[in-house]
Amino acid sequence: MPKEIYLVKVGMSMTEGMVSEWFIPDGGEVKKGDLVYALETEKVNLDVDAEYDGVVKHAVEVGVTLEPGDVVGYIFQADEEIPEDLVGADNGTTSKTSVEDKVVHLEAAKETVPVVVADQSPKVNSDGRVKSSPAARRLALELGLDFRAAEGSGPGGRIIERDIEALAGSMREKTPVQLTTQASFKASPLAKKLAETRGIDLAYVSGTGPGGRIVQLDVENAEISVTSASSERGVTAELSSGPHAGDVVPVKGMRKTIATRMHQSLMESAQLSMDMEVLMDDAVKMRTGLVEEWAAEGIKPTYTDLVIKACAKALTSHPMMNSQFSIEAISLLEGVHVGMAVALPEGLVVPVVRNADKLSVKDLAAETSRLAKAAREGTLGLDDYAGGTFTVSALGMYGVDSFTPIINSPQSGIMGVNRLYDGMEWEGERIVKSKKMNLSLTWDHRALDGAPAAEFLVEVKSLLETPFRLLV
Amino acid sequence: MKELNFDVVILGGGPGGYTAAIRSAQLGLKVGLVEREELGGVCLNWGCIPTKSLLHAADVMRELESATTLGIEVGKPKFNLKKMVKRSRDVAGQLSGGISHLMKKNKIEVFYGDAKLRDKNTVQVEDQVMGCKNIVLATGASAKNLPHVQADGDLIWEARAAMTPSFMPKRLLIIGAGAIGVEFASFYRSMGSKVTLIEMMKQILPSEDNEIAEMAKRSFVEQGVEVLTETGIESLEKKKSKLVASINGSERIFDAAILSVGVEANIEGLGIDNLGVELKNGFVLVDEYQQTSVEGIYAIGDVSGVPCLAHKASHEGTICAEAIAGELPLPVKKERIPGCTYSYPQIASIGLTEFAASERGAIKVGRFPLIANGKAVAINDTEGMIKTIFDEETGELLGAHMIGPGVTEMIQGFAVAITLETTEADLMATVFPHPTLSEAMHESVLSAFGRTINF
Repeated sequence: MPKEIYLVKVGMSMTEGMVSEWFIPDGGEVKKGDLVYALETEKVNLDVDAEYDGVVKHAVEVGVTLEPGDVVGYIFQADEEIPEDLVGADNGTTSKTSVEDKVVHLEAAKETVPVVVADQSPKVNSDGRVKSSPAARRLALELGLDFRAAEGSGPGGRIIERDIEALAGSMREKTPVQLTTQASFKASPLAKKLAETRGIDLAYVSGTGPGGRIVQLDVENAEISVTSASSERGVTAELSSGPHAGDVVPVKGMRKTIATRMHQSLMESAQLSMDMEVLMDDAVKMRTGLVEEWAAEGIKPTYTDLVIKACAKALTSHPMMNSQFSIEAISLLEGVHVGMAVALPEGLVVPVVRNADKLSVKDLAAETSRLAKAAREGTLGLDDYAGGTFTVSALGMYGVDSFTPIINSPQSGIMGVNRLYDGMEWEGERIVKSKKMNLSLTWDHRALDGAPAAEFLVEVKSLLETPFRLLV
Repeated sequence: MKELNFDVVILGGGPGGYTAAIRSAQLGLKVGLVEREELGGVCLNWGCIPTKSLLHAADVMRELESATTLGIEVGKPKFNLKKMVKRSRDVAGQLSGGISHLMKKNKIEVFYGDAKLRDKNTVQVEDQVMGCKNIVLATGASAKNLPHVQADGDLIWEARAAMTPSFMPKRLLIIGAGAIGVEFASFYRSMGSKVTLIEMMKQILPSEDNEIAEMAKRSFVEQGVEVLTETGIESLEKKKSKLVASINGSERIFDAAILSVGVEANIEGLGIDNLGVELKNGFVLVDEYQQTSVEGIYAIGDVSGVPCLAHKASHEGTICAEAIAGELPLPVKKERIPGCTYSYPQIASIGLTEFAASERGAIKVGRFPLIANGKAVAINDTEGMIKTIFDEETGELLGAHMIGPGVTEMIQGFAVAITLETTEADLMATVFPHPTLSEAMHESVLSAFGRTINF
């Protein structure tokens, strides 16, 4: 009797395997202990040796999937008659495997059947519409599902709310990961802790860890990467030479941060904006005077400086606008630190004027010019970014009359500064030329309602219209 | 001779080299690998693996000897040295064969022989010349000799001879108490040798935390090993098939000696000196992506410097393969590489020692003795401690040092923690299964913050 060569079982979990190579050719001689074939399984590869001397006959070809214990070949003793060709012969092994193969394929197909049916043949009306309830469609929208994929169980096969729930349930089983994705910073616990103790906003830190995770090193390097922006310089050069139509600009670095933060801000808060006209005649006069006054010291206050000062002052008496909203509580912040948006070729940065309410206009002007210069030179320190409680963003230099700035989360308000223009005022019955400017305030309705927001805006307007109050 | 061209040629088929080869092949590079002895390198053939087979035998011996405590009567166990050594060789052989298979599977061409770099794009093995865009030096390191004491393979052994002994020395001298020396001390002591372990430094296992090293020393001494620190070997002479050693001015007789005083990089004959590859302390100098001072020439594993550990080599192999393929791999932080000594008791550590950490700033240290761990008591192996070191301000896990049963398998828990940059809060919030030795890890963390429950 020839001795069987089996597909050996390697480990408890091995369910199938194959001969990946015959070391002894069909009809070749083998000595006990010689390697006969190479076994390949999902997990391991192993060279299998012969247990007997004799002539090897292959029963299966390389690459046929078998179960452990199946016969892959035979070893014939010297005195035994050797058949011509065993491969493909009906020895029960190969046919059994091919049947099993089919079973596996059928089962795989079965699994996908319901999905295919649901996707491709929804209950369609004669006018081509899928019958569904509004509640079902709304729920599907909330869950991010295609309602047409649901199996309608309502009257006439109409898709109703519970069908969407059932669909969501089945989706959850299939793709648990996708449904649990959340928008949150990927950062190591240590990185978070470091950022917290050093007052670093992780939104400004790009992660180099696995999968873009922010790690310790990133936080430690944050100062360098944010300020020197050495790697961004290349991007700056590219961008200032102008991207061309047809280019694909990768979303990374500062762009990515801005994109994430802005979108997050809009998604997570209830923002709305309003404009108000401010009469700027006195402010223009005062500023002209101050520019002359401080020229020797090289300090030149801008209109934005005056707005920052006015906002800071108004914030002290409107603490709800100087707050952070969270689901549990609104924190009214103690300091008034006003961020100023500075446009750079590669994107926007928002350094913070600390304790803007306590700074004199002169000191404030000196500070904003320092921050703007540092921002352009890429030498802002991390402290310069940290802890803003309100933001002022100016687009007046581009001739903008009104816009809806987006709140710099987690703040509750942002003031947009528009262009200064020659407007008209009534002086008695006479129209006179006068300097005017619009302020565009965006605030978070979750933190405060329209009336208090308007009161804040009126206060800012009033301060700018009687600007000596900014100096005292 | 056919002309051969590769994207990468790797010199050395140890854990660094073969890993670099497979990773390169996975990334679509055409790879050649040169090996002068057996695939698997020292680790698999003459290091980690065969010694683990021997040390496991020693563990079983010891367990059998203490079996009566558990209520099992077995009589005095006897060992067969020849069979023990043969099994360790078979294990090495089996695994080396496996690597050969992996090379085939990944279509990596293997050349046997001594390699020489003709220039930075040409490698020669015997008569075969191959062109290559990149070269990876993974040639490993060899046991060092002392100026006045050289291993001779007869009575003075280096690791290779020490793991294939033809006789069991009654009196054994081990020179150098790093991981290798300590493991051999543990093995030979378990087999009944009278072992004298000498170390030049202040403590055995000089790279380990001082407190742990002291505990290990105490344990070895209790087991009957003579441990002499701050002690060098003055002379070692062969006299009538015995060794006469001069230690601390007095003459001592030994049947054999093991020289385990460190390793030196295998760079001789490679021809790298002509190419301007810079060295540092005798090892090839590399950057964080394992590139040497010559572009296109990389070095990984022992040849590129300490710590000389197989897992460091294979990780560096992956990094350099990815760097060559134009990916941006994450460089490995040296202090995040764990180290293990498989003696009895086992020792495992990762990160900074207490001393090194305290030099950096304020720390919190947790300690938990295994005598207070239920599982350790149950398995009758209570000698040991888990020590954890945290940055006081951030809660960063700076180091973990463990001694006792199973610690070489448990250290990976802290390795994952350190790599994921967890703080004490995450570790405290982790549920450890009961009853396990690993609960002592949790307790150690709690202890660092004054919250330990069971001690």
